[in-house]
Amino acid sequence: MINGIRKIAGILVFSFIFLSMGLVYWQVVNADTMLDNPANRRAVFLENRITRGNIFDGNGVILAQTKKTASGKIREYPQGEMFEPLLGYATVEYGSAGIEASEAETLLGMNENSLVRKIQNTFDLERPGNDLILTLDSRLQEVAYQALQGKSGAVVALDPRSGNVLALVSQPSYDGNKIVDEWNKIINQQGSPLLNHAFSEYPPGSIMKVVTSAALFRAGLDTTALYNCKGSTVINGQTILEQNDKSHGWVNYDLALAYSCNDYFAENGVKSGENYFLQAAAGFGFGKKIPFDLDVPISSITNDKPLPEHLNLNLFAASTFGQGQVMVSPFHMALITAGVANKGKIMVPHLIDRVLDSKQNIICNSKPEVWLTPLSVQEAEKVKDAMILAVNEGTAAPGAIPGVQIAAKTGSAEPGGKRNTHAWYIAFAPAENPEIAVAVLVENGGTGGGVAAPIAKAVLKKALETKEGEK
Amino acid sequence: MLYSLSLRFLTLVILWMGLGVLKLDGLLGSQFVSQAVVFSIFVLVGALVEYYFGYTGDRNLVPVIQTILAIGLVFLIRIKPSVAQEQFVWANIGLILFYAILFGLKDYRKLEEYQYIWGMAALGLLFITLIFGVTINGATSWLRLGEFGFQTEELVKVVLILFMASYLDNNQELLRIGTIQAGRLSLPDKRTLGPFLFIVVFVLGLLAAQKSLGTALVFFLLMVFIIYMVTERLFYLLASLPVLILTGTAGYFLFGHVRVRVATWINPWIDSTGGGFQISQSLFAISGGKLLGTGLGNGIGAYQIPHADTDFIFAVIAEEIGFVGAMAVIALFLVIVLRALAISVKAPDRFGQILAAGIGILIGFEALIILAGVTKILPLTGLPLPWMSYGGSSLIIHFLLLGILANISHSSSFSISDVQVGKRAGVL
Repeated sequence: MINGIRKIAGILVFSFIFLSMGLVYWQVVNADTMLDNPANRRAVFLENRITRGNIFDGNGVILAQTKKTASGKIREYPQGEMFEPLLGYATVEYGSAGIEASEAETLLGMNENSLVRKIQNTFDLERPGNDLILTLDSRLQEVAYQALQGKSGAVVALDPRSGNVLALVSQPSYDGNKIVDEWNKIINQQGSPLLNHAFSEYPPGSIMKVVTSAALFRAGLDTTALYNCKGSTVINGQTILEQNDKSHGWVNYDLALAYSCNDYFAENGVKSGENYFLQAAAGFGFGKKIPFDLDVPISSITNDKPLPEHLNLNLFAASTFGQGQVMVSPFHMALITAGVANKGKIMVPHLIDRVLDSKQNIICNSKPEVWLTPLSVQEAEKVKDAMILAVNEGTAAPGAIPGVQIAAKTGSAEPGGKRNTHAWYIAFAPAENPEIAVAVLVENGGTGGGVAAPIAKAVLKKALETKEGEK
Repeated sequence: MLYSLSLRFLTLVILWMGLGVLKLDGLLGSQFVSQAVVFSIFVLVGALVEYYFGYTGDRNLVPVIQTILAIGLVFLIRIKPSVAQEQFVWANIGLILFYAILFGLKDYRKLEEYQYIWGMAALGLLFITLIFGVTINGATSWLRLGEFGFQTEELVKVVLILFMASYLDNNQELLRIGTIQAGRLSLPDKRTLGPFLFIVVFVLGLLAAQKSLGTALVFFLLMVFIIYMVTERLFYLLASLPVLILTGTAGYFLFGHVRVRVATWINPWIDSTGGGFQISQSLFAISGGKLLGTGLGNGIGAYQIPHADTDFIFAVIAEEIGFVGAMAVIALFLVIVLRALAISVKAPDRFGQILAAGIGILIGFEALIILAGVTKILPLTGLPLPWMSYGGSSLIIHFLLLGILANISHSSSFSISDVQVGKRAGVL
């Protein structure tokens, strides 16, 4: 009997020790991984005692604010659909997205390590978060938003000199104020309003020729040499067609880019070799993570590898004019355009100009820095000249603005299947001293010149006008 | 006296510190101060009562349980003030009942005489509940009389332990040695084991019919371990394993909610908004506590976990006072279990030994099964954590069991020789 009691005591002690091992597992070993579980609402609850900071555009227009009411706090988006899905949302019910999610720590003031903050965090005191001042210009955003309305796609405008994002529109979008009430409607709507199309990838089509240009220069191509375009050519058994089977006749590099001649870029691209092409692509940021506040997918040359060591010849030929398996986001395309505009230097893109604490002290400030240098000053000049010719005499003409010289390139990318082509238009202005670079994509919109060019034109015009007005 | 009083003060310090933190958090309703004062007076008067009656039993048992109770009360105020108010009342009634049994029960050995009454009472109570009972949270385990509801399975714990202790005391030798030879095993005959098996099988069957599977599991383990303790034959322990597996499998196929519990035990995230909500929220709360906890009043579990005031109170505790606090609570329960087994070893007679050990094993398994469920070591079975979870029935019954345990401890402090010559009668 006594022996039995002792053994049972042993079994029970062992069981309790085993139980405490369970606690060690959850509270010590797994404590941090559990926080990342999407069903875990700890972060949202921690927010309860913090007033999320406001978000402003560069001119002080309120984009998001927290209002206190009798029943609690509500997050308001006074601009409605215009800045969504870039701004995103922050809800208890459906989590958060966009800037509201990526900058949550800043907006809530949780990423600071000052002593005061630490004490506030420890005791969970009621406190205000930080305000964000974005680089966006709501006037440009509005123009881009209006121009893209009813279509599916994206507009990205950058200041090529600083990398500041001036406008970033994705359509279709949604009203951030209605996200909770109309969640089911929004997620079932066609065209994925929650998805930011500026950060989605598409085949670039002919705007890729800007990248291929770098490969041609590096391979020592004589840009004045003439090439006879017959409307189609055969490389390694693969027929390369021109758009609408149009033959461009005798063209040099400038004319080939202006007329968007596929054969010229395919023939000369293949002639210069895959190494130069892949180097040029890498130089423009293919296969690289874009250093940005929001998550932008890595642009890729092939499906298997963003930046392969070798390319299959047929795939290579198609890649030179942006078909094959090349995928790039409108945001990255805007950066590439800005690189050409900024004398061959791509600046690190910025969306957040500065962060202010609740007493309006500047906590951090963005500074311009160079991300990549894909082109030399002379090479950038050559591409620019060709892009000017494209506006003045070539396919990019629908984007021309009277009185201002712009440089641009169109793209009509085949998405595969029998769907309409994706309409692309990249441009910067004024050509001699660029202040703004823009990339427009209209999903299955048709031709770049017909559909995307007017949108880019509207944005550029507005940007140059407001610049004029400020002087 | 000094030792006893200083332990009580320690308990009250824990209580009032908890209340102080809740006050800072703005979570302390004004009504609780007076209730806590009354409770504190009960605790201190209890120490004086023990002194007055010359209590000579285990000195740590009561203070440890009062500490568990105090922690439970603080957390109930934090989780659900409306039930905390009731729990204070039940706690005071429980303390009165405890002292009434400790000093009112002249000789616990008299309880042995009613062996079959206990057995039949267990069956009767469960049977009545099954027919007239009210279903709450899926289990038909409540009897309702007007305003007043009572969970009968709690009372069944007492009568079943009394039945087992008296029965096994009377039949220990037969069970131990056995009368039928089966190969190398000697098994007890039908006459010896029959009535015991009859009662036990019916009690477990009725609990299963009520869908109180957690309680059924506790009773099953209690029964197996008491038999093992009395006979010291490993055979009974091993023989219970296939029975457990078979009935568990049967339960899995018979009850839909058992399948849900098992599925969410294997992967709680698969349906973390539906069937797995409770367990996943519990784990989020526990893991969020980390080493030192989020601090009393700062956790999310208290709002997020369903039944945070009853079955899941431990998850909230683990979150808000962290691994350190949760380990302290586990340690307190282990102390009670080991004190009960120590009392059992020292008990003057076999009935007292079985009874004391039975109470210890019962409390041990109750705590282990719900804590293992909350931490996903075992599939979840709803059980209150003794003295901590909200629930009048559970609290009263556990104080009743504690009263019996302290009574045995008190009695065994008299010398063995006194007992042997039978001079005990009328000592108190």
